[in-house]
Amino acid sequence: MNRKGLIPPGLVYLADNITSKHNILGARKGSGAKWAKELNLPKEMETIFFAGCGYQYTGGLESLMSLLRRMDKSVVGAELPMGIAAFQKKLGIDLAGVYRKVLAKGNDAQPLRDAVKVLSNLGVEFGYLADDEPCCGGPLHYIGLQVEFAKNAQEMYKELKSLGVKRIISIVPSCTYTLRNLIPGCVDGYDLEVKHFSEVVSEGISSRELRFPGEVKVTYHDPCQLARYLGLIEEPRQILRAIKGIKLVETDWTKGEWATCCGGGGGFEAVFPELSQILAVNRARELLETGAQIIVTHCPGCIVQLRDGLKELKTDGVEVLDLAQIVAMAMEV
Amino acid sequence: MSIFTDYKKEIMDAAHNDRIRIALSRAITSYRANTNDALKKFPHTIKMAEEVKEIKEKAIGKMEELAQQAGEAIESNKGKTYLAKTANEALNIIGNLVGKDKLIVKGKSMTGEEIELREHLEELGNEVYETDLGEFIIQKLHSRPMHILSPAIHIPREDVAQLFSRITGEKLPPDNIPRLVATARKLLREKYFQADIGMSGANVVAADTGTLFLIENEGNIRLATGAPPVHIALVGMEKLVPTFGDACKVAEVTWRYANYTVPSYVSLVSGPSKTGDIEKVTTYGAHGPKEFHVIFMDAGRTELAKHPILCQALYCLRCGGCLYECPVFAVTAGHFGDKYFAGIGAVWAAMISQNVEKAASVAYTCLTCGRCKIRCPMKIDTPEMIVELRKLIVEGA
Repeated sequence: MNRKGLIPPGLVYLADNITSKHNILGARKGSGAKWAKELNLPKEMETIFFAGCGYQYTGGLESLMSLLRRMDKSVVGAELPMGIAAFQKKLGIDLAGVYRKVLAKGNDAQPLRDAVKVLSNLGVEFGYLADDEPCCGGPLHYIGLQVEFAKNAQEMYKELKSLGVKRIISIVPSCTYTLRNLIPGCVDGYDLEVKHFSEVVSEGISSRELRFPGEVKVTYHDPCQLARYLGLIEEPRQILRAIKGIKLVETDWTKGEWATCCGGGGGFEAVFPELSQILAVNRARELLETGAQIIVTHCPGCIVQLRDGLKELKTDGVEVLDLAQIVAMAMEV
Repeated sequence: MSIFTDYKKEIMDAAHNDRIRIALSRAITSYRANTNDALKKFPHTIKMAEEVKEIKEKAIGKMEELAQQAGEAIESNKGKTYLAKTANEALNIIGNLVGKDKLIVKGKSMTGEEIELREHLEELGNEVYETDLGEFIIQKLHSRPMHILSPAIHIPREDVAQLFSRITGEKLPPDNIPRLVATARKLLREKYFQADIGMSGANVVAADTGTLFLIENEGNIRLATGAPPVHIALVGMEKLVPTFGDACKVAEVTWRYANYTVPSYVSLVSGPSKTGDIEKVTTYGAHGPKEFHVIFMDAGRTELAKHPILCQALYCLRCGGCLYECPVFAVTAGHFGDKYFAGIGAVWAAMISQNVEKAASVAYTCLTCGRCKIRCPMKIDTPEMIVELRKLIVEGA
């Protein structure tokens, strides 16, 4: 028996996209890097900014999740996910077209543009590989496709080395953990230095005067991979506390290493779209209890989940923003 | 994919069941508060948990040797011991000891659930009473446990009142919980003294003295293992630790993370009841059981112990703490699982129950969010085990 048949189809879809198109959504090459077009970032640098798939395709992910959830709740019900492409056709939805439209709008990936501005403002010198940025392949590892993951990791490392990369500033928590902790396990002599955006920023802002435009109550949602996998719990808080005008209000129990998952972990949202939404609502509810006006987090998956959670709760006046967006606003860049 | 489809339907039905969600959200709040208090009152527990982890790591590597040692100790205490390589062997050994047409009172045992012991004994023609209140409710409802410590965690009082009214023929109001508890007490009381056999599991076993530690609050285990003339205990081999002192530490850490400062009862059983009060002649079966049988069951455990990552599943103390921290469990209860629940349950399904399709379904339901690991006194890395298990499933190993 082909045991690969035991992988839920939603995950097979993600895996196929990574191995064939080198991004989680199966978007065409070049469509992801559009966000950086006008930023004129150099390419050949020893330090690069690693954008990852998540933020680049946030709009696409939102469309995909909303589609999956509709399908999951519909008559198709428990049959899902059995071949997403087939259902797309059946429902008459052109998913690829949805992505193209979202990506063409160009207002996607704001956290990335802001992250780049923040790093530049701090005087960090870095490049961006744009279309040549390889996919870290993290989801392959979590799906259990270790052979494919190792192959991707080795190719990726070779590519980065051939482009002269020595240091990486990564922003997506999952990509960061993959680049820092997982890939070294399958690449001999791995020597890339990987830092997370929040580490670079928390080190860089110590002498800065940061002020948020206005007085706001902000709560922070720890992404699982950032807090529990990478141990970056203090850094984001240190950054938020350094910004005048921001009052950090936290949940009394579910914070830091005890933070509740948004429901979007490990490809879960692709297997259980509707259940994933229930978990997103639960987490959004916990965060709303703090009375915050802005929910800050630092992961593209969490952003999609929490926005959806708030929408389901019909909450007006509370926004979900990425930490990079908040810092950019406080720097007035 | 049919198992996955059925399983997903079960999960989603549970997730849409408000009663499960309400029951669990109350349970989670009180679990966290109680555990915090218990750990504050006995702060040494955290250090002790680290010690216990070392004890377990060593013990899991030499379960066969410890079972041998415990067996010899129990035999020298005039008990009888058996080694069951498989679940079927365990069922046969117990089946032969029990026979048929017996009345059996049983304490709650996850290892018993694992091999469907009650069902087996009933099929042989015995009358079996689960005596743990939650388990009694589950048995009467023909349901299955949804939490390792609180099996009826998903059943609200209204359903219990309805059930007990049906059994007794009395009209029992749902808001009188003490009366519901008293009803169960009354229904079970005489069974302990009529029973031919009492059965239990064990929370931890000391190999040097052959002592079984039984942790409980209700008092049903004391009665079930004390009143009948025969006591049969089924023990998974992962429960063995080298010394009595080790076992005391395991027991204390277990109940503390199960949210108790101290449980009402801890029974230590090392052999059958005996007396030497008449002319110093040792006679067995004084007030307690005359016969004491212990079955140490392997059923995949020594194989599992050899796996460098999945062996962590055997360190589990069954305190149930992880379940209260799992966001999926919070809305689905034990529907997310197999014989054992949540992420770690997938490892048991794959390696112990050998149910690969069920294991895959459960493994892909884990968020790999890792909050269970933060709670776990043994720091079992469930996300790591889940990813490893998915790999084994995909590669067909």
